[in-house]
Amino acid sequence: MEHQRCYIYQPPETEERANKRQRTSKFDPQSRLPERLQIYRSVWAQQEERIQNTLEGADSATQENIVNFISAASSSPDEQKFAIPTALIVAGPSIASHGHFFERLGRRVRDANSAYIVLTSGECPNLKTLLKNLIKKVTSRVEDDDEDEIDRPSTSSRHGPKLLNYDLGHVEEWQKKHRAASIVVALQDSEAFDAGLLVDTIDLFHSWLDRLPFVLLFGLATSAENFEERLAGNSLRFLEGQKFDVIQSDEIIEKLLHATVASTDVRLHIGSNLCRRMLDRQKDHVQSTQDFCDGLKYAYMSHFYASVPSLLLKEGITFSDVTADIFEAVRNLPSFRRWVEDTLDDGRAQDVRNLLEDNEYLFDQVSQHIQSGQQALLSLSHAASVLASIRQAIQMSPTVRLSSIWIRAASGELSGSPLIRETMLSIKKIPSDKLVHLLASLRELEGNYFSIDLASSQQRLDSLLKNTDTPLRTQHDVRNDSLRTTVVAQKVLLSKHKAALSEQDRAYSDIVTEFHDRLETYFASSLVDPRTLFLSEILMYDLKSPHTEVFQPKPRFAIERALASPHDYLGCDCCSGVDGNPAALSATQPATAIVYQMYLESGTLINVSDLWSAFNAIAGDGSDENEPKTMALFQRALAELKYLGLVKPSRKKTDHISKTMWKGL
Amino acid sequence: MVGTKRRRDQDDADELTPRKLRARIADDAPDELEPLEAQTPSRKGRAQHLAENGTPRSILKKTGWANGVAATPKSTRKLVFETPTKSAKRDSPDGTPTIVRNADRSARRKSNRRILERTLNGADSDEEALDEEDELAEHILGADAEDTDQPGEDAVPEPPVPETPSKRGRGRPKGSGKVGRPRKQRSPTPPTELPPHEEYFWQNRPGGTKTSNNTLSAQSLLNHDEYFQAMQSYQDGHAAEMDFLLELHSRAYDQWIFELDQGFNICLYGYGSKRIITEQFTARLYRHLLDRPPYKGTKKTPSIVIINGYTAGTTIKDILTTVASTILPAGLKPPNQPTALLDYLLEHLSSTPPPHPIPIVLNSIDSPSLRKSPTPSLLARLATHPNINLLCTADTPHFPLLWDTGLKSQYRFLFHDATTFLPYTTEIDTVETVNELLDRSGRRVGGRDGIGFVLRSLPEQARELFRILVLEQLSLSLTTPAGEAEAEPSDADRTPSTKKKSSRHKLVATQGVEYRVLYHKAVEAFVCTSEVSFRSLMKEFYDHGMIESLKDGMGVERLCVPFRSEELEGLAEDLGAGVF
Repeated sequence: MEHQRCYIYQPPETEERANKRQRTSKFDPQSRLPERLQIYRSVWAQQEERIQNTLEGADSATQENIVNFISAASSSPDEQKFAIPTALIVAGPSIASHGHFFERLGRRVRDANSAYIVLTSGECPNLKTLLKNLIKKVTSRVEDDDEDEIDRPSTSSRHGPKLLNYDLGHVEEWQKKHRAASIVVALQDSEAFDAGLLVDTIDLFHSWLDRLPFVLLFGLATSAENFEERLAGNSLRFLEGQKFDVIQSDEIIEKLLHATVASTDVRLHIGSNLCRRMLDRQKDHVQSTQDFCDGLKYAYMSHFYASVPSLLLKEGITFSDVTADIFEAVRNLPSFRRWVEDTLDDGRAQDVRNLLEDNEYLFDQVSQHIQSGQQALLSLSHAASVLASIRQAIQMSPTVRLSSIWIRAASGELSGSPLIRETMLSIKKIPSDKLVHLLASLRELEGNYFSIDLASSQQRLDSLLKNTDTPLRTQHDVRNDSLRTTVVAQKVLLSKHKAALSEQDRAYSDIVTEFHDRLETYFASSLVDPRTLFLSEILMYDLKSPHTEVFQPKPRFAIERALASPHDYLGCDCCSGVDGNPAALSATQPATAIVYQMYLESGTLINVSDLWSAFNAIAGDGSDENEPKTMALFQRALAELKYLGLVKPSRKKTDHISKTMWKGL
Repeated sequence: MVGTKRRRDQDDADELTPRKLRARIADDAPDELEPLEAQTPSRKGRAQHLAENGTPRSILKKTGWANGVAATPKSTRKLVFETPTKSAKRDSPDGTPTIVRNADRSARRKSNRRILERTLNGADSDEEALDEEDELAEHILGADAEDTDQPGEDAVPEPPVPETPSKRGRGRPKGSGKVGRPRKQRSPTPPTELPPHEEYFWQNRPGGTKTSNNTLSAQSLLNHDEYFQAMQSYQDGHAAEMDFLLELHSRAYDQWIFELDQGFNICLYGYGSKRIITEQFTARLYRHLLDRPPYKGTKKTPSIVIINGYTAGTTIKDILTTVASTILPAGLKPPNQPTALLDYLLEHLSSTPPPHPIPIVLNSIDSPSLRKSPTPSLLARLATHPNINLLCTADTPHFPLLWDTGLKSQYRFLFHDATTFLPYTTEIDTVETVNELLDRSGRRVGGRDGIGFVLRSLPEQARELFRILVLEQLSLSLTTPAGEAEAEPSDADRTPSTKKKSSRHKLVATQGVEYRVLYHKAVEAFVCTSEVSFRSLMKEFYDHGMIESLKDGMGVERLCVPFRSEELEGLAEDLGAGVF
């Protein structure tokens, strides 16, 4: 079987099904797995729905515009056109998300009774192939091998000579039957197309424009100017372009983050470190939005799969649902210990005893704390949104994205930070016209987690503003200050004076001060460090470990490590050096590891004969009858190095190989 | 010492010694040379100036130098090379600050250079030589004193010249590196604990790789039989640890099933063959699926597609047809072309989704046969479909480079380290790989025995033809004298004792027998009568890898038997003796 290329798995005949699950230990980490996964599914389903809505909403406006453009282009079919209607879609540098965009666009275009074909540079190396693909996709004809084609009676043979398979006549015929409003050809990665090919394609499409209603869409990763530069003026004359800007992926990510991570309606929170890591990965590797969602999903999966007490996140959980294992697990949480110590410091030793011994008491406490912890985390997220929207409403610079505000909030850095102080200061000085804006935008965020009495402020402000035309200023506004210079006994005295506040200004100042104080207490109460909360391990997932390895593997490092220090993996005692010298090669190491370590020390060119004698000196036992065995090991090691791509044959000298990889580079 | 020198200068004053002249000219020079300097960039101009200044002979030739120089700016450059030895003397009395720079050079070095220059520049008169020797001695003894003293004497307002070009031609003097500066003693042991990039440069330093000329004897490498025999008796000392690693990995199988279930694909990497893991995992997955609704309690069995990417010649079409066979009902005839087939499959998967995603287990996704252009993108399109679950393994350390971000996001891989340390027994043909690595492809036929085996099954003419070829090749390698190495490097070239730089291509092309020649020889020997029959005989050799053909630089096709000369000789003996 192992040398067969492809086959369907057949279980071996003699299969002992008895040893399927033999767990000798009493503790089974997977005991309540199905239930946890059930919670995971329900939690993730909510998130997924939000993601979908965000994604759909994100570029729907642009897509709407493009569809309108296409239908406008095909609205007057009888009119003679002189140029191909062309949409230049500036989709940004994140190539990974272009595919999804064009796919979604295609769904909408097809709804408008148009043919929609996406061509990528990979499938179109030349004009002929491009046309073949185009025809195949338009007519959705299943094309067989070339041999079959000869036998097949061509549809057009009755009318004249048989058309070649790259003749747009096929499309014309199809168009006669289907009467599509327009034939939309999207070149997804137009930068990757050969410029000459683009020119040829445009020329050809233009010459068929009187018979086929072509509309071209170019996906651009750079800019429309760059695209124009690549084409000759002649071809540009055949195009009638319009530019569409797609929302860039980092803005979509921002929205996604707002909808999922920083949302106020999630049961499992993502920690700040993980979130930062995910965003960095996004930025560094220009990944698609899909990768961000995958990262989020995997975090949720890991939490519920691996953490036993995550069962406590179940909605409406009762004491009977929880097994003793879970209580044990909760008692081992670091945050439990902290909490217990705090309780002890308060002198409530009896409570602690109950916590440690009475499962039922613990359950009550845990369910209470899960509730309050959720509350705290949600109001933290909400506070981040409030802060972001305050800064947006009063147009403070520099603009700080919600993502970075949220991450700082979630890592507990925000409370008392310069960012907050600065924001609060500018609120103190806010003129009344801006305050109106601010109150309006904050009204939208009002809810369970943000319960400042905005309405009363709003009312008082409204009544105040009725009588005045000019914006009111607060007492802290610099424009109310004036500097007075007095010369007393040849000394200049500078003194700051508050201009006399008008009655209205004073009233307004009161409103602002009150509003400011309320906000301040709100931020102070909600910006807590989530990691200090009891049960934060359950409420929040912030582990680096599986996430990094799973999404950013270091395969080269893994292989180099396995070969350079095999005991890291094997965990044996024999391989970590000879006589206390960790650098010495020991004979017990796997043969490939020995050869690899000698390989590391050698230069670019390696004499295999010398390598063999060195290997034989280490791994061999000196006797002649065992030499074939050593040789076999040596050959195997050499073949493995070749298989891993570490060496290649060298023509420079006989029996030499050359080195192709340097460790750690 | 300086005093002596000065005195002698004065003594010589009346004679028209070159030095005196030079001194005078040097005084005039700044004015006279102005036009010249204006013409050329300053430094070069100065160099020329010095060159002319320091060449007494040329100055003597044109006594009316002052008038002449402005008119003859030509051939200035040539003079630099014509510089006679005497100029060498000049730099010390002249006291140009060059000496200051060179002051710290050892006396030994200076005298060496002087001798060298004299020999380089041809014969000098004895007098001059004597003169020089005197001076040399002075130099050695009093170089420092001179340096401090000289500038005042000549008072030539020349800016410091980094190099006196009259001394020698361009470049460092021959041998100065070796003689002048004692070579740093190279330590026999390479430096340890270098950072990776430094290590790269250290190991790639020019001339850094000195390897011995030892070669492996033909007998020492094992052939297939010997290899397997040796391997059968071998017991790995780490069997227990490897089992433990496997056991660790096997704990993750359930997790992987969950991950696949959530729409991710899985990629396993790390050192060691991962076939056993995929095998075990497949079994686990099979049982897992068997316990699920569509199969539970029925005779139906889930189908898991297994693909061995490492098997040579695995194509995307194989993969797609195997997948198609699991999901398509029997009556349908899917299209033949991979792209069309894939579209068809995806269409079918979307319209009539299977009860569970189709699991595909792909061993070695990074194998050479699956790397070629359309395959990864097609595979990614297949893998991205929600009704396909792909679990694959990757062996090479840099496999992520196979995919750009687009493909990567299509694959939706979760990566897991699955280091096993198990030998790649199925993936690699060890003996063959090593032979290829060491350029002993001739061993592929199984050496002399293998050739004999093939020849015995062939007609008489074929044996005869092969004998002609071997003899021709041998005689070529023997008759070609070493001097004509360029035209026909002999077979001995393959042993590193002679020239190193003999690319293999050139070797085969030149050591091989020309196709035409071989054909005519064959006709002469009545082996064959037409080119057709000749070709049909040759084809048999090709198919068994007994000959190789290559075009040489002229485009002439050459044929050769891929053996070393000693083996060829043995072969010729066998053939001659009629062993085969």
